[in-house]
Amino acid sequence: MTLAETQAWLYQAITSGERPTPEDLELCLADGPALSAREGVAVYASMYLARLIDALREAFPNLARFLGEETFAALAEDYLGRHPSEHHDIGRAGRLLPAFLRKHPDPERPDLADLAELEWTRQQVFFAAAAPQLGTEAFARLDPEELARSRLLLSPALQILRLDHAVAPLWRHLEHGEPPDSPLVVSSPLAIWRRGAEVFHCPLPLDEVAALERAASGGSLAQICEAFAEREDPSAAAHGAIASWMAEGWVTGLERSPAPTDLASPD
Amino acid sequence: MAFHRLDLGHGLGLRTKHFAQFESGPSPVDWVEVVTENFMAEGGRPIAVLESVRRDTPVVLHGVSLSIGSTDPLSERYLDDLARLVARIQPAMVTDHLCWGTWQGRYVHDLLPLPYTEEALVHVAARVAAVQERLGRQVLLENPSTYLAYRGSTMSEWEFLAELAARADCGILLDVNNVYVSAHNLGFDPLEYLDGIPPDRVGQLHLAGHSDKGKYLLDTHDAPVSEPVWELYRETLRRLGRVPTLIEWDDRIPPLPELVAESRRAASIEAEELTPALRRAAP
Repeated sequence: MTLAETQAWLYQAITSGERPTPEDLELCLADGPALSAREGVAVYASMYLARLIDALREAFPNLARFLGEETFAALAEDYLGRHPSEHHDIGRAGRLLPAFLRKHPDPERPDLADLAELEWTRQQVFFAAAAPQLGTEAFARLDPEELARSRLLLSPALQILRLDHAVAPLWRHLEHGEPPDSPLVVSSPLAIWRRGAEVFHCPLPLDEVAALERAASGGSLAQICEAFAEREDPSAAAHGAIASWMAEGWVTGLERSPAPTDLASPD
Repeated sequence: MAFHRLDLGHGLGLRTKHFAQFESGPSPVDWVEVVTENFMAEGGRPIAVLESVRRDTPVVLHGVSLSIGSTDPLSERYLDDLARLVARIQPAMVTDHLCWGTWQGRYVHDLLPLPYTEEALVHVAARVAAVQERLGRQVLLENPSTYLAYRGSTMSEWEFLAELAARADCGILLDVNNVYVSAHNLGFDPLEYLDGIPPDRVGQLHLAGHSDKGKYLLDTHDAPVSEPVWELYRETLRRLGRVPTLIEWDDRIPPLPELVAESRRAASIEAEELTPALRRAAP
């Protein structure tokens, strides 16, 4: 057997869950004094699954708590059978688990895909790049017109999730070892962010989500503030929201845009 | 072609459980090793801690996913991440394993042994050279612990490793526990293994605990170094002299003082074995 043929065969023998035939074993491997060829392959096969299931449990601790050890392991095995790890970091093996749960939902707990999405996003935020927090003094340096044209730069360690179920309470109950609530279908946007080394999440009003999405897509401060137009006092609501973004470290920069006249052609 | 062994002393694996202690005071050991892939993310606490620790303590990057023996092409994404981390941390050494762990872009996340053949040797030597060219530095490859043997192997693991180091001009990370585990499982003499390793190519030693599974030994890194492995460490030092030595402990990790005690035991064995004979003989 060539090196490539050997690796193709052993990969299948270790990951497929099927016992290799005696003829294939005989062709490729020799029995050892401690382990037969079959037992040697079995050692690697059992470690393959155990290691990946551990990694998934680490990425989705509350999903694993909710399902219990056996059911979570069965889900993980099913998932890995369809989505083997394709990244050198084993911590990324669960990247497609939320989508997998959406495609194969538990009829009694359709909120588990959202729970998985929340846990996966928390992990991404934990490892996101660090960026310096912008101080409020940056605003004071600009005149009101310049400020209205300026754009906010958001932290890479901030993500907004639009989910279909209220999973923040479910996550909290599981985190604290409390019994989970029944699934609650409600549009539930969440902000997930890191401050220092700790990850937080909280629900957000829909207009604030729209404001953050405008900021993320390069909207001006004036356009960001317009997202609060339906509020009783839009100006105070926008000011309050942006002040809280600053305090939480969600804003990392203020990008000045040139005035319309600055864009005129020199001729 | 040459390999230069650094004189780093005795180190420990830097693990999450001990981050706070490494952050709050001087390192209790001469150097630390980290699992490369756990520090490749752009941000978060692990890389922040590592950047803080490396200011005063040499760091070794120890990878598990290079898959140097795979017949897949070398992963550009992996090499990009590795090169970025090497530039960021400026490690004392960059190490990985003599193994393969991917097939058609899929990761087994294990250190699978290679058949020790001329075909594999040519293949791996070319890939080591490519990695070293990419990183602009030598790498060291570690012998894996092994639970199976290929019928087609035409040379021993130590012959393969020695020849690979010469052809690819790379270093060897000799894991003494892995020699012991594989010798038990595959039935070779661990002293013959040590005798076959070229001393001038060895840049680091690993010591770790294993589990006795009855029929075989499993490299679990979840226990103290066993007495037979300490004995094999003595034999290794007699052949190789002073080599930077690391205690690996990755599962059921004990409090830091217990790990430091293991590292100090390695240091005192080294002192016993390498003290000049005349001074040892004095009454």
